[in-house]
Amino acid sequence: MAGLNELTIVEARAQLDAGDISSVDLTRACLDAIKKTDQTTLAFLEVWEEQALEEAKASDDRRKNGKILGTLDGIPLALKDNMMVQGRNVTAASKVLEGYVATNDSTVVKKLKAQGAVFLGRTNMDEFAMGGSTENSAYQITHHPKDAERVPGGSSGGSAVAVAANMCIAALGSDTGGSIRQPASFCGVVGLKPTYGRVSRSGLIAMASSLDQIGPFAKTVEDAAILLEAIQGKDIMDQTTTDAKAFETSTLDGNMPLKGKKIGLPKQAWGDGMSDVVREKVSAAVEQLKSLGAEVVDVDLPYADEALAVYYVLMPCEVSANMSRFDGMRYGYRSPNHGLLDTYLTSRGEGIGREVRRRILLGTYALSKGYYDAYYRKAKKVQKLIQNAYASAFTHVDVLLTPTSPTTAFKIGEKINDPLAMYLEDIFTVGVNVAGLPAVSIPCGEDEKGLPVGMQLIGRQWDEAGILGMAKTYEASRT
Amino acid sequence: MALKREEVAGLAHLARIALNDEELARASTELENILGYVDRLQKIPTEGVEEAAPSAVAAIGFRPDEAIQSDPETLKLIIQNFPAKTGNLLKAPAVFERPKK
Repeated sequence: MAGLNELTIVEARAQLDAGDISSVDLTRACLDAIKKTDQTTLAFLEVWEEQALEEAKASDDRRKNGKILGTLDGIPLALKDNMMVQGRNVTAASKVLEGYVATNDSTVVKKLKAQGAVFLGRTNMDEFAMGGSTENSAYQITHHPKDAERVPGGSSGGSAVAVAANMCIAALGSDTGGSIRQPASFCGVVGLKPTYGRVSRSGLIAMASSLDQIGPFAKTVEDAAILLEAIQGKDIMDQTTTDAKAFETSTLDGNMPLKGKKIGLPKQAWGDGMSDVVREKVSAAVEQLKSLGAEVVDVDLPYADEALAVYYVLMPCEVSANMSRFDGMRYGYRSPNHGLLDTYLTSRGEGIGREVRRRILLGTYALSKGYYDAYYRKAKKVQKLIQNAYASAFTHVDVLLTPTSPTTAFKIGEKINDPLAMYLEDIFTVGVNVAGLPAVSIPCGEDEKGLPVGMQLIGRQWDEAGILGMAKTYEASRT
Repeated sequence: MALKREEVAGLAHLARIALNDEELARASTELENILGYVDRLQKIPTEGVEEAAPSAVAAIGFRPDEAIQSDPETLKLIIQNFPAKTGNLLKAPAVFERPKK
């Protein structure tokens, strides 16, 4: 019999409702799995064992009294280490925030608490979410659950591994250029990046504010949908959230008729920039969707090739601004015994890791006098062209389909000294952030070593229901 | 576009990050590679193209510019997070430093 930690949200919920298991049982199973597995994977930076068991106990008490709070009551989840939980450490995997205690709850955590969810711990990530392998953490390198010599992807690598290795029921991550979808693809789980503005970023440690979005990692499409429904919504603390129509899990249909649905394959993505096995598995998934009734057409997505370049101008500009708050003054690491200027210089020099420094310098350069027009303004214009291209494609297709990542999980150390090679990992995912659209990565096969391949379904703005519905239908057809 | 080491040192100073010689040298090579890549944008004709609007134009807009009362726990934690303090006061290095003789 499968362990309780292997359950999905839907299964766990059914067993909790039937009284077959308790949240304490479920939470303990996850904590045991962490003890057993995480010595090798190093997905968690901190496990909140005692608090998690207390939260589980409280959930069980509520259930006994017939007063459960929401769908997620008693469900043990993991959080990426950039979401604040009041009174608990949060570091964004940076030395500069070592020992920092979150002063308030992030909005997503408030919403999950209101549903009665259990928090197992905080998961490892690339420092301040900058990276695609979780090797940039200042604390530890997270290992792929199927091959310890390989990376799990990143930046939300810890959350992806926690879900893939059944150390939690589901998890949250954040996605600025692919940081949910790429690790989901590498680890063989479902990862959703919602439409920009769907989920509040209040209490998320910012990387690039115009691109960041929180989203779920889950074992199934339906679980991802349940989490999205729980965390979405406008928030006065994040002015970029909107009144957009709420997403409802109940609208998802695992037998969604794909007849009449049109899937576009952007020719810019389907060029020669992917490994053979990725092409083979994602093409097979396309055939599968065709056999389910979908119409598949090639589409031209002009300027989509430029999304990575746009991203590597806009993102560092925002990073350089967002990181300026880590100055050693009010919180975080302060290098002692210096005058003012040297306190800034050394606190930041000693506390901030290499990849983050690189992006701060890049952003400082692009925003400096004489270069602003050539870089930032130019990138904002090309961003407009990219947004227009997606909008125009969505006038005649319902969903765009690409591989999530050009390769399967690569080896630890393979790309860490070649920033550009690492950045190219995001080639299929960044466009979605640049255009502000929703996209989901779902598993669609494995390479000869058993490493997962993911495909990405990109939807119209606010059309999470469209991509998740199609993903669910595909998922159901494979089991 | 090539970046000289002095330029990188200038950027590091503007960004208030102390870098040693080795780090400076490495940063200039890395920045040069990345800038070399993003320079492809210069070839895209954008005459007459407007800049992308700030994210989520349909968003809820600004909240009133009013102080929000924090809960006592938040206040306690803010003070607890001070890197140096005297009582409940944040200790910071002097803004005006004694001129060096």
